[in-house]
Amino acid sequence: MEGTANSMSEYLSVLIFIFVGIGSVLFTFFLSRLIRPHNPYKEKSIPYECAELPIGDSWFKFNNRFYIFALMFVIFDVEVVFLFPWAVAFGELGLFALVEMIIFILILFFGLFYAWRKGALKWV
Amino acid sequence: MEFAFPEYNLRLMAPEIFLFLWALLIIAYDVLTKRKSETTAGYLALAGLMITGLILGFTGTGHGFGNMFVSDTAAKFFKIIFLGSAFMAIGSSFGIMREKIVNHRGEFYGLILFSTVGMMFLSSSNELLSLYIGLELTTIPLFVLAAFFKDDKLSVEAGIKYFIVGAFSSALLLYGISFLYGLSGTTDLVQMKINIAITHLTFQNIGVILILAIVLVVAGIGFKLSLPPFHQWVPDVYQGSPTPVAAFLSVGSKAAGLIAFAKIFVNGLFAFHHPDMAPNDWGRLVALLAVAAMILGNTVAIRQTNIKRMLGYSSIAQVGYIMIGIVAMNALGMAAMGFYIFAYMFANMGAFAAVAIVEDKTGSCEISTYSGLARTSPLLSATFAVFLLSLAGIPPLAGFMAKFYIFAAGIQAAQHDPGLYWMYWLVGIALLTTVFAIYYYANIIKQMYFAKEPSPHKVTYNFPALTVLLIGLAGLFVFGIYPEPVLHFASGIASSFGIIP
Amino acid sequence: MVPVSAYLIVAIVLFGIGTVGVLISRNMIVMFMCIELMLNAANLALIAFSRSLEVMDGHAFVFLVLTVAAAEAAVGLAIVLAIYRNRETINIDRFSILKW
Repeated sequence: MEGTANSMSEYLSVLIFIFVGIGSVLFTFFLSRLIRPHNPYKEKSIPYECAELPIGDSWFKFNNRFYIFALMFVIFDVEVVFLFPWAVAFGELGLFALVEMIIFILILFFGLFYAWRKGALKWV
Repeated sequence: MEFAFPEYNLRLMAPEIFLFLWALLIIAYDVLTKRKSETTAGYLALAGLMITGLILGFTGTGHGFGNMFVSDTAAKFFKIIFLGSAFMAIGSSFGIMREKIVNHRGEFYGLILFSTVGMMFLSSSNELLSLYIGLELTTIPLFVLAAFFKDDKLSVEAGIKYFIVGAFSSALLLYGISFLYGLSGTTDLVQMKINIAITHLTFQNIGVILILAIVLVVAGIGFKLSLPPFHQWVPDVYQGSPTPVAAFLSVGSKAAGLIAFAKIFVNGLFAFHHPDMAPNDWGRLVALLAVAAMILGNTVAIRQTNIKRMLGYSSIAQVGYIMIGIVAMNALGMAAMGFYIFAYMFANMGAFAAVAIVEDKTGSCEISTYSGLARTSPLLSATFAVFLLSLAGIPPLAGFMAKFYIFAAGIQAAQHDPGLYWMYWLVGIALLTTVFAIYYYANIIKQMYFAKEPSPHKVTYNFPALTVLLIGLAGLFVFGIYPEPVLHFASGIASSFGIIP
Repeated sequence: MVPVSAYLIVAIVLFGIGTVGVLISRNMIVMFMCIELMLNAANLALIAFSRSLEVMDGHAFVFLVLTVAAAEAAVGLAIVLAIYRNRETINIDRFSILKW
């Protein structure tokens, strides 16, 4: 650890940063309140859906099919977690790691292939 | 930054790699073929397990992947148990396949094989990271398998209960592991054995964190092992899930939990077994849980009316006996633990196979279904009786030798070290609870053989299920009368864990 | 520099919230989220130890734990969907056909 005074001053800059961050947001809100016209009517408070009038409540149950697609997304989402450190260290790791990564991706593609054969990619 | 390339030694991993690819192959076969035969996927899975066993026989010993992966006697012994229990679970699943699962046969077998691969990785892991991943790879397919009849309320409910308990326990285990890592600065278990002892000697105030770590890890693996008070899920999940899956859970998953437990405690926390280390002494904590398991499992099993629930409680009790071997922590204890789980595999997988055969015929798992079964189905009744007697520990079956070695190990530990005098109590309680066990196992045999009315059902066998029954029967008699070769093999487990006889 | 104990305290608090949530919540989805919270508390502890001990193992551990958490969530949500289809509820108190 460095000196206490040094680490305290680091905290101070963080503190100032936080205050400036919050303050700037509040200041712009305050500024826009000063200059904007004030004219509320009912249509302004309904959810905006591409200029169409919304039908029903926005709190409805989503279709289960979204879940399948979310799952497909998660497979390749997590894949990137492993691809990224590999890509960063690619220079040192070389060919062996490339082969390993190809095997890894092939296994994941098997999952995609399975989902495709089972018809999970079709929106019925 | 310099990268030190670890020595990979891929050949040591050959059985796991092969089995994994085989599981993918089975799933691919299932999704690619249009006209599905009822049994091909199942026979493919059985063949894959046998080939894996052969490859395992030719795999040498050694370390690989920078000491993360180790192939030693303990790993091989447990891999044989995992492969055997998967084989027997799949063998007893053919009837259910025909009746209930039509569209997902390949997935069923693929998931069992994936879980087996996870167990095999777990038994070969030499450090916390691969151990945790192996444990997760074991349990996540089992969540799906427990809920496999997705239109059956019982099965889905079993799945959700198993999932919540499993995920919760793995989070507890992970948090405990993070403390062990923080205390030792390494994930390597052999290194950890030294580092934690040094940390303990250097800093006197790590006690609280170490206790927390021990309790969390015991709880995390205790859920998998169904040690009380972490056992409540067991009867529910066994009752609800498909019978072959319940069988696999009761042997494969339990053996996996056992090897994980042994790796962390016997290897990593070797120094903290003795009462001198109190309050960091895990030996007495585990002994208490084992006592609770034996008493609770054996007494509650008496009151059950569903055979799968009864076998669930009986498996809780069996884990209590096995834990005596770990707590004794001598060479005989380790060997006895191995032999016990080996004998338990034959008896319990066989018993579940018999339950599956009866269930296929009658659609029921109530104990009353078995009333008078001996007159209509003599072969099934006789084999089932043998399995139950072995679970109870009646000579000359393998279950008796297993209990004998376990108790001998406990007494040896108590004689060897006056600090472990409570081992006498442990063995005494174990002997006492065995009597209860004989009562409820004998009750089923009484129902089958001494009922007034003959049973209205006559079971039919399919070839794989019959094979499983006969394997179980042969294993129990052969290793009950001639246990030396297995015991000799199992005594290698002790040296794998660095315990010198 | 923030001392490692600060991270550990945050981790303990997160873990506590997660554990209590799993134990008292009756909604399956909330229980999932609490389990994720517990896993992330462990992740935080692993990273904190890894930084303070200056060994890299903890970082690798966290990557794999993230994957495990994703797999667990996928399987868990699938089972919840299955149970919702045949029971029309995800309240854990109602899942009591199997009783001890």
